[in-house]
Amino acid sequence: MRAMIPLALAALAGPALAADGERVQVTGEVIDTWCYFSGVMGGPDAVVGTAHHTCALWCSAGGIPVGLLAPDGTVYMVLKMEGDDENAGGDTNLRIASHTIEADGMLYRRDGLNYLIVEEVIADQDIVNATHEDFGVIPGFAIPDSEAPE
Amino acid sequence: MIRFALIATLAAAPALAQDFSEGSEAREWGLFAEQKALFTATVSDPLCELAGDCADDCGGGTRQVVLIRKADNAMVFPLKNAQSAFNGAVADLAPFCGQTVDVDGLLIEDPEIGATNVYLVQRIRPEGGEWQRANTWTDNWAEKNPETEGPGPWFRRDPRVLEELEREGYLGLGEEADQEFFKDWF
Repeated sequence: MRAMIPLALAALAGPALAADGERVQVTGEVIDTWCYFSGVMGGPDAVVGTAHHTCALWCSAGGIPVGLLAPDGTVYMVLKMEGDDENAGGDTNLRIASHTIEADGMLYRRDGLNYLIVEEVIADQDIVNATHEDFGVIPGFAIPDSEAPE
Repeated sequence: MIRFALIATLAAAPALAQDFSEGSEAREWGLFAEQKALFTATVSDPLCELAGDCADDCGGGTRQVVLIRKADNAMVFPLKNAQSAFNGAVADLAPFCGQTVDVDGLLIEDPEIGATNVYLVQRIRPEGGEWQRANTWTDNWAEKNPETEGPGPWFRRDPRVLEELEREGYLGLGEEADQEFFKDWF
């Protein structure tokens, strides 16, 4: 009986106790989490990389959270980038939109999401995911007609 | 006592998969995994919640914010406001930092790609107040960028976006790659 009480209390308090940090190194692409999670622009393969770079800039500047998409498909929601907590439309995230980076930082898990506080970008491979070769640009209006060659 | 413990355990469990659609007037977006969701929550700073790194006023609009849902203490991440022009939810929610609010919008639950407890907020009601639309981002942007007045949506005129496009191009691979791509694209 005594053993049941902590179990019950843990179940009641569950999510609030799930925030122990863990130091990690993660390699992944800096993505726009709304387009990736919502599917509003298409499937997950189409809303990453070069095809979606311009939209990723818009969303980052618009204050949509950025994430790191690891090769195994895990998404890490970035709360700080290299110590910069201006994470709602700030310059640091904007300048590395769509870049593949290797990040060192603290990982927290809560209620099914992975949250990453990036303390250092160890390596920046620039933009290497050439999805425009398969998808063109997403959305199609990302490049205005005024850019059409004469 | 055993019965009490079991009841307490079971009472906590259903909240994890609770349906929050009752009473919601959220507009459907036709998204694959959207679920209408109206719930009561406290607006909070995720860095504070997770790492004890707390800023005044949740960062005053510069940090991301989260919603700590009253029903189950789940931390819900609002990624998007009600506007359809690439706008996040911080401008609408940060003014309510530390306050209890009702929110109405769309939860996205697509565990296959890692989407859970992420949210599009469409309207907010502070305790004892009236509902207000979560659509302040573009007005805030216009106030901060008066020199960009002109035709077209904000994202075509934003100085920082234009600077990045100038620097790396639409594909992010530079001007030469863009020009090569344009030959096929248009």
